Amino acid sequence: MAQKSVWSDNRFWRRSATWVTGVASVLLIWLTFDTMGQISMGTDADLKNGVTKRVPAPTVINYKVDYVFDSRRGHEVPKIGPEKEKFFGKFWSEEEAAALLHKGKLASQAKNCMDCHTLLGNGAYFAPDLTKAWLDPAWQDGGTMQAMTGKNSKEEAMVAFLMNPDQYPTHERMMPNLGITHDEAVALVAFLKHMASIDTNGFPRNFGRMQGAVHGK
Amino acid sequence: MEQNLILTPEIASGDFLTIFVASALVLVFGGLYVGLFTAVKVRLLKPWFMIIGYGFWLLTVYCLYLMGSLMHVDHFTAKALVVAAVGLLLVPHAVYYMQDHVHRENEH
Amino acid sequence: MANNALTGVGSESKQLATWYFTFAAIIFGAQLVFGVVAAIQFVEPSFLYGVLDFSIARILHINALVVWMVFAMFGSVYWLLPDETGIETVGIKIGKLLFWIFAAAIVVVVLVYLFIQVGPADDTTIWFITEGREYIEAPRWADLGIVVVALGFVANLFFTGMKGNRSGIVTVLMADMIAFSGLYLCGMFFTDNISMDQYWWWWVIHLWVEATWEVFVGSLAAYALITIIGAHRKVVEMWLWIEVAMLFGSGILGLGHHYFWIGTPEYWWEIGALFSALEPLPLVAMFIHVLYDWGKTQGEQMGAEHTDEDHVKSVITNKPAFTWITLNAFGNFLGAGIWGFFHTLPQVNLYTHGTQFTAAHGHLAFFGAYATILIGMMYLAIQGTNGIKVMNHTKASIWGVSLITSGVVGMTVALTIAGYSQVLVARAQMGGTWQAYFDGQAGMWFQQAMDWRLVMGVVTLLGFVFLAKDLLTSGKSPVHER
Repeated sequence: MAQKSVWSDNRFWRRSATWVTGVASVLLIWLTFDTMGQISMGTDADLKNGVTKRVPAPTVINYKVDYVFDSRRGHEVPKIGPEKEKFFGKFWSEEEAAALLHKGKLASQAKNCMDCHTLLGNGAYFAPDLTKAWLDPAWQDGGTMQAMTGKNSKEEAMVAFLMNPDQYPTHERMMPNLGITHDEAVALVAFLKHMASIDTNGFPRNFGRMQGAVHGK
Repeated sequence: MEQNLILTPEIASGDFLTIFVASALVLVFGGLYVGLFTAVKVRLLKPWFMIIGYGFWLLTVYCLYLMGSLMHVDHFTAKALVVAAVGLLLVPHAVYYMQDHVHRENEH
Repeated sequence: MANNALTGVGSESKQLATWYFTFAAIIFGAQLVFGVVAAIQFVEPSFLYGVLDFSIARILHINALVVWMVFAMFGSVYWLLPDETGIETVGIKIGKLLFWIFAAAIVVVVLVYLFIQVGPADDTTIWFITEGREYIEAPRWADLGIVVVALGFVANLFFTGMKGNRSGIVTVLMADMIAFSGLYLCGMFFTDNISMDQYWWWWVIHLWVEATWEVFVGSLAAYALITIIGAHRKVVEMWLWIEVAMLFGSGILGLGHHYFWIGTPEYWWEIGALFSALEPLPLVAMFIHVLYDWGKTQGEQMGAEHTDEDHVKSVITNKPAFTWITLNAFGNFLGAGIWGFFHTLPQVNLYTHGTQFTAAHGHLAFFGAYATILIGMMYLAIQGTNGIKVMNHTKASIWGVSLITSGVVGMTVALTIAGYSQVLVARAQMGGTWQAYFDGQAGMWFQQAMDWRLVMGVVTLLGFVFLAKDLLTSGKSPVHER
C-alpha cells in the first residue's frame, strides 16, 4: 500500500485550483485597470496639444487621419493631424462630435454591422473589414466607390452608399438596404473615421500595399 | 530607447503553408506522444513503444522551432514556446504519477 | 453505476432536465438550418436577399448555438444533481417556472430577429430589437430576463448542493456557474468607445468558452466517466481539481490573445502568446485522462473475469453516450487545441485575424468541446428515463454520429482552405483593403472551399435528422439490455 502523499490528496488539489484561479483573476483585474486607463477616450485638449491616445476623442473627425509606417514600432500606426480637415463641410464642436459618435456607435449595433463585417477584425467574414474603412483606397478621391456614387467627397459618397447600398452593386455579394436614414449614415461615417484613428498595433498589416497604398508607401 | 524597439518582421508568403502545417503537427505529434505514453503505462501497448513516444516529442519540438523561426517570434514568445515544449514533456509523467498514486491508495 | 433511488422517472429534477434537453435539441436543429442558409448565401448571394439577409441568418445561427448549449448545460446540471447530492433538487417548482419563462423569451427574441431584424439608431433598438454584438445580440430586456433565470438556476444548484451531499463535482459546478452567470453582466452595457466595447465583450465570449464552459465540460466528463464506465470517484474528482487549475490557470489570462489588435496595449501580445501556448496542455491532459480511466477500468474488468481483450465484458454501460464523450476528448483537442494553436501567436494572427480561419476554429471547437458532450448527456438521460441497463447503438445513432462528425470535420477543412487562400491573397499580398477582401473572396480555392463547406453543412444537417430520430425513438428500442 502506497503512502498517503500530498500529490494524491484531493484537498491539496482543491486548494491549488482555488489559488491558481484566484491569482490569475487578480492579475487579469490588475491588467484590466491598466488597460482601461490606456484605452479610455482622449480629450479634445489632447488632440489640440498633439498628445497621442490609443483611442482619441470624438473630435478626431475634425482632423486629417492617416495610417503610416512607424519604424520604431515596426508597423503602421494612425497619424492624427496636425492638419485639420472639415467633416461634411464643417468643424464639429466637442458636444456635437460626441453626440454624433454616440449615434454612430448605436447605429452600428442597431443595424447588426458586425454580423456581416468585422470591426477591429471581430465579427462575421461575409463583407470587408471596417477597421480602416475610412482610409480605404476605394473611397478616396478617384477611388471606385466615389466614382460610382457620383459624389465629390468621401463622406458624401459613404452616406449615399449606406442609405441605398442596393443601388450601387459592386459585387455579386451586395449589402442589403437596412433603412439607414441620412442622419444615421452621417453618424456611421463619423464612427468609421473614429475607428480608423484607433491605434490597433499595426492591424491590418501593409494596408493598401498593392493599390499604391493609402499614402504612397 | 533600445528597449522599446518592437520588431515584427514580415512573414514571407511562401512560409505561411509551412507555418500552418507545422503548428498543426505540433499538437498532432504532441498528442501521439501523450497517447503512446499513456497507452504504454496502462499496459495497452508493449514498453518499447515508449521510445517511439519520445521520438514524437522530439518531432513536436522540431515543429515548434520551425514554426517559431518562420514567423519570427520575439524573444519572449520563443521562451514561452520552450516552456510549452518542456511542459508537454512533463505533463503526462506528472499526471500518470498522481493518478497511479490515488489508484493504489484507493484500491488496496 | 453511481445511481440511486432518484434515478429516472421518479425524480422531478430529471424530468425538468429532459425538458431542457428537448428544447435544446430543437434549437440545435434551428442552428443547423440557419447555418445552411448562411452557407448557401456564400455560394449564391442572391438567396433570400432582402428577406433573410446573411446578417440575420448568421445571428440566428450563432445565437441558436449559444442558447441550445446553455439549455443543454442547465439540463445536464438538473440531471446529475440528484445523483450527486442524493436528494431531490430544492426549488424544483421555481426551476420549472423559469424553464417556461426562458423558453418563451427565446421564442420572442427569435421572432423579433426574424421579422423586425434592425431598428433605428437609438436606445429602443438596444432594449427591444438587437444589441448588435456578435453572439450576444439579444436585446436588453432579454438580457435582464436571462440574468433572472440564471440567478434562479444558480440558487437551485446552491441550495441543493448545501442541503445534500456536496460532492467535488457539485462544488466545482457551483463555483463555475456563479462565474458563468456573473460574466454575462459584462456584455450588457453600452459604450461609444469601440475598443472598450470589444474589451468587455471578450470577457463574456472568451471567459465563457475558454474558461467556464471548459470547466463545466470537465465536470460533466467526470460525472459521465463515473456513471458510464464506473471510474473511481476519488480519482476522477482529484483529476477534476487538477483540470480546474490548468484550465483557469491558462484560460483566464489566455484572454490576452483577443487583445492583440483592438486598441489595447502591446503587452497583451506577450501575455496572449504565453498563455495561449499553455492552453492546449489541459486539453492534452483531459485526453490522457479519458484514455487512462477507460484503460484502467477495462483492465480491472479483464483481471476480474480472468479473460483477455477479445472476450472481456465491456465496462461501458451506455455506448452512444460514451462514443460522444470520446469524441469530446478528441474534438476538444483537435478543435480548440490544434485549430486554436494554428493562429494564436500574434506574429501569425496579424494575418489570420478576421479570416475564415477563425470560422474553421469556431466550428470544430464548439462542436468538439461542447456539442459532443452535451449530446452524450442527452443519451444518458434517455438511458435513465427508460430504465435501460446497458444502452447500445442503434442504426440511427451510428448514422447520426458519423454524419454529424464527418460533416463538421469537412466544413472545418473547407473553411481552413478558404482561410488559407484568404490570408495569402487578401492579407499577405494585398494588405486587407476593400479591394483585397473581394479579390480574396473571388479566388478559385476560396470559392470551391465554400462549395464544399455547403455540401458538408448539408451532411451535418442530415446527420442531425438521424440523431433527432434516435433521440426520440431509441428509448423504446429492443437493442438495449434492460
